[in-house]
Amino acid sequence: MADVSWQNTDGSLALEKPRRNRLMFAVGGIVLISAVIFLVINAMSGNTQLYKTVDEYYAEQGRLAGRDLRVSGWVVDGTVVYTQIDAHNSRLEFDIVDDLANPGRSLHVVALNEPKPDLLQGQAQALVEGRGDANGVFMANPGGLMLKCPTRYEEMDPAGHPDSVPTS
Amino acid sequence: MIADIGYLTLLTAFFCAVYAVVAAAYGARSGDDRWVRSARNALIATFPLLLLAAGLVITALLTGDFSIAYVSQVSSRGMPTYLKVTALWGGQAGSLLFWNVLLSAFTAAAMLSKWRQQKELMPYVIIVSGMTQVFFLLVSTFLEDPFTRNLVIPADGNGLNPLLRHPGMIIHPPMLYLGFVGFTIPFSFAMAALMSNQMSDNWIHTTRRWTLVAWLFLGLGLILGGRWAYDVLGWGGYWGWDPVENASFMPWLAGTAFLHSVMIQEKMRMFKMWNMFLVVLTYCLVILGTFVVRSGVISSVHAFAQSAIGPFFFGFIVIMFTFSAYWITKRRDSLRSENALASYLSREAAFLYNNFLIIAILGVVFLFTYYPILSELFTGEKGFVGPPVYERALAPLFAALVLLMGVAPLTMWYRTSIQRLGRAVLWPAVGSTAFVVVLFILGVRLWPALLGFWLVSFSAVLTILEFTKGTRARMRKGESPWTAFTTLMARNRRRYGGYWIHMGVLIMAFGIVADGIYQSETQIRLQAGESITLGDFEMRFNSVSRFPGADDLLITKADVDLFKNGKLVRTLTPQIELYQRTGQPMTIPSARSTITEDFYVILVNWEPTTADAATFRIFLNPLINWIWTGGLVFVMGTLIAAWPEREKVPVRARRPAAAVAGD
Repeated sequence: MADVSWQNTDGSLALEKPRRNRLMFAVGGIVLISAVIFLVINAMSGNTQLYKTVDEYYAEQGRLAGRDLRVSGWVVDGTVVYTQIDAHNSRLEFDIVDDLANPGRSLHVVALNEPKPDLLQGQAQALVEGRGDANGVFMANPGGLMLKCPTRYEEMDPAGHPDSVPTS
Repeated sequence: MIADIGYLTLLTAFFCAVYAVVAAAYGARSGDDRWVRSARNALIATFPLLLLAAGLVITALLTGDFSIAYVSQVSSRGMPTYLKVTALWGGQAGSLLFWNVLLSAFTAAAMLSKWRQQKELMPYVIIVSGMTQVFFLLVSTFLEDPFTRNLVIPADGNGLNPLLRHPGMIIHPPMLYLGFVGFTIPFSFAMAALMSNQMSDNWIHTTRRWTLVAWLFLGLGLILGGRWAYDVLGWGGYWGWDPVENASFMPWLAGTAFLHSVMIQEKMRMFKMWNMFLVVLTYCLVILGTFVVRSGVISSVHAFAQSAIGPFFFGFIVIMFTFSAYWITKRRDSLRSENALASYLSREAAFLYNNFLIIAILGVVFLFTYYPILSELFTGEKGFVGPPVYERALAPLFAALVLLMGVAPLTMWYRTSIQRLGRAVLWPAVGSTAFVVVLFILGVRLWPALLGFWLVSFSAVLTILEFTKGTRARMRKGESPWTAFTTLMARNRRRYGGYWIHMGVLIMAFGIVADGIYQSETQIRLQAGESITLGDFEMRFNSVSRFPGADDLLITKADVDLFKNGKLVRTLTPQIELYQRTGQPMTIPSARSTITEDFYVILVNWEPTTADAATFRIFLNPLINWIWTGGLVFVMGTLIAAWPEREKVPVRARRPAAAVAGD
């Protein structure tokens, strides 16, 4: 930036003011940037999830037990079951694996009181937010069930995203 | 036949664009105008060629030519005609071709409309916009060719994803694409100004309207995407901070910062380097967004092809960013500000705060969107940031932006006295506090809601006062209120269009605060004749019917009566449509929509064996229609601001005499 903001009859004053202002804006800028950094750290601390595949989850099951995770995998054909327990409670469960053609261990996912997403079918790709429990069941968080499209729609464009969605 | 002609057309367009870049570069270097004119003609010629290519894809879609792989992927015989046409942007290869068509249309229009006025810039505009066109045509012609043939011709196609069969989703991609490609024009002119060393504000005046139009389309695309999500996806929401959504939101934010910041350059000859940076940032975010959503590097709930085009996009971004950085550095002396900020309480300082906040929001969204990559890079473990983290980090920044939206128009160029500002905000502050007290008495008790409503109403009152002040000033000249109001806007479209945009955003913000804090939901299984109460509403389940629909649809429709304060207000029919051939169900929500709230219900489950019981999920979304209404006001404001008017020589701010004497 130029040192002077305008031609003044008294050049020294015109020079002095912008310098003082520049310092003021620099200090203000540092304060504001620090505030934004604080907001980010404060929002993130303890609230980020780890992103794992099914095999990665099993490899570190002990360490990951009880932690908030986001696990991705493919839904195994014939495993999707929706049960209406009573008027207020339902249970949705299915298994996911890393590779449908070469399935390793499968992860049993349970979501309570969640509608069955339209795209939850065999061979769909699921993203599940939740926690693993001691019995090897992965309990989805409320609204933590997301699905990508089955492979037959793989060529959908991003803006016209054929998606799937958080279920609540 | 169609495939052969189509591919040849694409190939010709590609060579035209390559020729345009080379000929323009040679013409600029040699000073031979004939080469530049030839380059212009070649670049304009890509438009009819690409239009023909897109026409051929549409013909193939309409005639069901399943020998073409793209046609069999995105269409089927049973699809209605309008969906066959819109399937042009229903898949990767088609959408890239469509992108190319729009880009060539924008560049051709810029060439034709600005040729005489901007003759010195034009060779460079051709080079830069031509480079973008060459890149996208390279992808379309050699990597994602929409005319690739099927080895085995199927009897019928896959059909368009049922989720995309919605009016919002038919209009939403073209809007976003128009926004995306539209930003190529200001970027090309900015680069042309740097390359030709014509460092006046000329490129800003020339591209102001282009930028506004691109920004409008991108904003409209975002709003329509949200509306589609709300109508179709059945989760009661409209925005999920998904990487794909963020990929469109980030260039819109950068464009917003740019639109504000250019005003300081025009009035004060400041922030020239910063404006160049913003226009480059917007352009790079457009390409980066396209890269990210098509490459699969970030996990998204949105499906996209994980094709091989990702590295090409990445390479192109690196080239264009390096190219821009080189020219900005080379011309840094001409980009120095001619003035310095005189006071922290001035119009230019307000624009600076505005830019700071918008770029801070953009930075946070960028960090969170790319957190999976960054965390893996630094910690070796892939992390993820969910919507609550976004909301917690961004809410204070959005709140500050809303406050600034109201206060900034009260400031004056150079400096504003704190007393003057204090007097201007006193009564609006008292009024909005009284409004919030009334809300408190009516039962709104959560402090984030009260603070949000206070900020929005305060800024809204200040914005309305800007209109009334201007109208009154004209009325003093003897004009009737209506004439004064309309003339005010017609005479100063940019300013008052801007205020309308602010009003639109504030109306949306009111809805976002109300819905974000007070949305309620429940899920319940009801027997026929049973009811559930939510808020002032009672919903009674009557029956379920199942019947065949058009094409191969099997429709399961529930019939529920909705009562408000005991009075029947509406019968709702949430349903599940099953596309039997593909086995794809689609949940269609039903809502009673008013300006105060939406009662939104989806049919979760119904088993024919228990014919008289069904499970529903119900959302009560307060003030959600304010979001869409605000969206309409936003569009209207942008149209007012962008509407052509007679070219005026921009008036530079004059330094007040008192300031000169006083300092």
